[in-house]
Amino acid sequence: MNIIEIKELTKNYPLGSTIVHALRGIDFNIASGDFLSIVGPSGSGKTTLLNIIGCIDNASSGSVNIGGVEITKLNDKEITDIRLHKIGFIFQTFNLIPVLDVLENVEFPLLLMKNRSKSEVKKRAESLIDAVGLSEHIKHRPSELSGGQRQRVAIARALVTNPDIVLADEPTANLDSATGEQILELMKEMNRKEKTTFIFSTHDSNVIKYAGYVLKIKDGKMVN
Amino acid sequence: MKFLFIISLRNLFRQKRRNILLGSAMAFGVMILIIANSFSHGISDILFNRIVVYVAGHVNISINEGKGRDLPLFRDRDRLTKIAVETAGDKLIEYNEGVGIFLRAIGNGKVENLVLVGINTISRTLTQKQREEINESFKMLYGKFKDLGNKSIENPAILSKEKADALSVKPNDIVRVRYRNIYGQTQSSRLTVVGIMSNDNIFMQGVMFVELTNLKEMMGYRPYECGSIKLTLKEPQKDAADVADKIHSALRPGPAFILATAKVLNQDSSMNPDVSTSENKNSNPNTISSNNQNADTSPRVTLIPFMGNDEPLKKLMLSSFKLSSGNVKDVFGKDGMMVSDYLADILKIKQGDKLEFHFKPKFITKDKPEFAVREAIFSAVVKGIFISDDSTGKETIYMHEALFYPKFYENLPDLQSDSKFAFIPKEKASFKPALGTEWVLLDRSRSTDDLKQKLRAAGRKKIKAATIDVNSMYESASDVLKLENALNIITFTAVLILFFIILVGVVNTLRMTIRERTREIGTIRAIGMQKKDVLLIFVIETAILTAFASIAGTILAFISMAGLSNIAFQITDNPMGILLVKDRLHFVPTFIGIVGNIGFILFISIITAFFPSRKAANLSAADALRHFE
Repeated sequence: MNIIEIKELTKNYPLGSTIVHALRGIDFNIASGDFLSIVGPSGSGKTTLLNIIGCIDNASSGSVNIGGVEITKLNDKEITDIRLHKIGFIFQTFNLIPVLDVLENVEFPLLLMKNRSKSEVKKRAESLIDAVGLSEHIKHRPSELSGGQRQRVAIARALVTNPDIVLADEPTANLDSATGEQILELMKEMNRKEKTTFIFSTHDSNVIKYAGYVLKIKDGKMVN
Repeated sequence: MKFLFIISLRNLFRQKRRNILLGSAMAFGVMILIIANSFSHGISDILFNRIVVYVAGHVNISINEGKGRDLPLFRDRDRLTKIAVETAGDKLIEYNEGVGIFLRAIGNGKVENLVLVGINTISRTLTQKQREEINESFKMLYGKFKDLGNKSIENPAILSKEKADALSVKPNDIVRVRYRNIYGQTQSSRLTVVGIMSNDNIFMQGVMFVELTNLKEMMGYRPYECGSIKLTLKEPQKDAADVADKIHSALRPGPAFILATAKVLNQDSSMNPDVSTSENKNSNPNTISSNNQNADTSPRVTLIPFMGNDEPLKKLMLSSFKLSSGNVKDVFGKDGMMVSDYLADILKIKQGDKLEFHFKPKFITKDKPEFAVREAIFSAVVKGIFISDDSTGKETIYMHEALFYPKFYENLPDLQSDSKFAFIPKEKASFKPALGTEWVLLDRSRSTDDLKQKLRAAGRKKIKAATIDVNSMYESASDVLKLENALNIITFTAVLILFFIILVGVVNTLRMTIRERTREIGTIRAIGMQKKDVLLIFVIETAILTAFASIAGTILAFISMAGLSNIAFQITDNPMGILLVKDRLHFVPTFIGIVGNIGFILFISIITAFFPSRKAANLSAADALRHFE
């Protein structure tokens, strides 16, 4: 069963007086539970594609269907809800909230859902923190953690809402190779445990080996 | 919401130095605003509670009788005070008569103009607060305040040091004063200086104080008469207007009339009305003779006033009465008097005859029986005879107000007991609005201007009846309230400019903060936070900063006010001295004022923060995540 269906997706945006064609007609489907890597050189359109799949950017044309919902026709509030309930994000620069500690950062998406009890939220966050091996750092602020630890927190935060899809934009780019491999192993493990679809972008050939499937992209087009 | 609050609060501490600086500027603004506001309230409190209330009381019932509306005289003090006291009920602390007079004082070879004010020191129990106020107002350099009520001293008086120096008098010296009493007669009296006071209040420096009963006697008030009445209430700000409204309702006048016996005088006597009372019987033997001869046969008549000075009401009388003799101009003129045809038949009188009326006054002077007014007598010429019916009454005589009221007030009849026998035209009678009442109750005023207009209008109508006006301190002092509002507007405008500068700081800080946190905004939007929650984070952040700054500013304001209140200013011979209490600046911070100011600042801050916050909330998550400083 396809969790993502993309047809003839294009994305253009202005850059000064010129129009940049970031995506030039992308077509693909992703099945639920896949561990997919989008690879390509810098400027190929990987991040733009992930942003559109993650509902944080709009397509110029084409169709993007996520979990049976055509997202190109939704308003901002509905799209924000889709992001909250169906998608988890892992960023290259971790993007944790600096004023919140590890537990609060992981709880954050659940608290936005509003219909969860405090104890339920805490229990779920603690289980994820435990799963990523950070139980001893639960009260630490992001500034007190290493890069690898921060990315683990980001993984826990991405998974805490039990989303259908987790999108990771170059999750290992800011980590040393050993830590990067640990993070990919963790993502893989979570993919197996939680049956969550993982899509990550990279231009590092060492990272590609972890992917179940690889989608190559160059100059805004898919490459066979 | 709690979560958003926690994020906002922690974000504030993230940029400590910047927010402390901004918060300090806001706290300074709040402090200035509260000090300015408290100072203007203080000035207003001094003017309002220490001057206006001192002069006019919380509720003032002012009475005017006489041609120029300048005779503060009510002929039945007990009735007026009973109505006032019963209506005010347990809201009342005390009532006092307001009596004062301008006079010329002669000291030891020096002459000065002064205001003589009566203070009730004898029949009055003072509260601790009143004693403190008196001690504050009367800082005695020589003598004791309580000596004002010393009956063994001839007219004890207290005056200011400035006036004592000007008159060159010392304690126990005699000051001779010349003045006009309430009847316009020039009088002179001797006052004994029992005290000299120091007073920074320039208005108090020109006043000489004597015991109220002494002053009333000097001015010619009889024991049962009074001037204006001042009421002091327990909670004036809450109750003054309400009590004034209720007293006003309770003071609705009844019909004015005199129940008298009428006798025919020598028909060749003068056409001018003559007045006498039994106290001067010895000097008017003819009156005694007339009285004695006809006492048993004289018919009892009701004398009723009509408002002949008011043209529309005069016309109403003209249209309602049919004359069988006499011309309209004379009958409705200022000495006009018309007798019913029924009475004319009984008394066998015609137009031009003179009638003498005898009636019993309500008050009989008991303390001086030799001068007791046991029976009031006056006479007037018949100007016309009207055709009577049930509505006009048969044993009735209608008089022009100018003829009626002087006799009515001079020896006030007992209307309550007389009303059983008098003819009082019914309410539905067409001419009823044109008939005079015991007094004219002026409408309630809402401001000093309103009050002045109302008194001018009453003057234009040439009302001959006494007028009664009920005011609360709010109307008496509406000019003071205007002054307070003006002061508030001036200080508020100045502070607003200050705040404008501070708010530019708020906007700048917020713009900088948003710029620094753009990626963070992108992250929380990507995670799933709605736009409105992003907006709320920034608004709450500003609100918390403003709230903290306001609390700090309020504390600073109170510390500053306490400090400023400890500095004594020695201001004498300067009107600015009235703005000081015990030589110190007087601040009156009010809860509503402080909360209102803080609320306003909070509102302005939130509005100011709203627009940059909305801009932050509307950022595209993708663009925000791409942002790099």
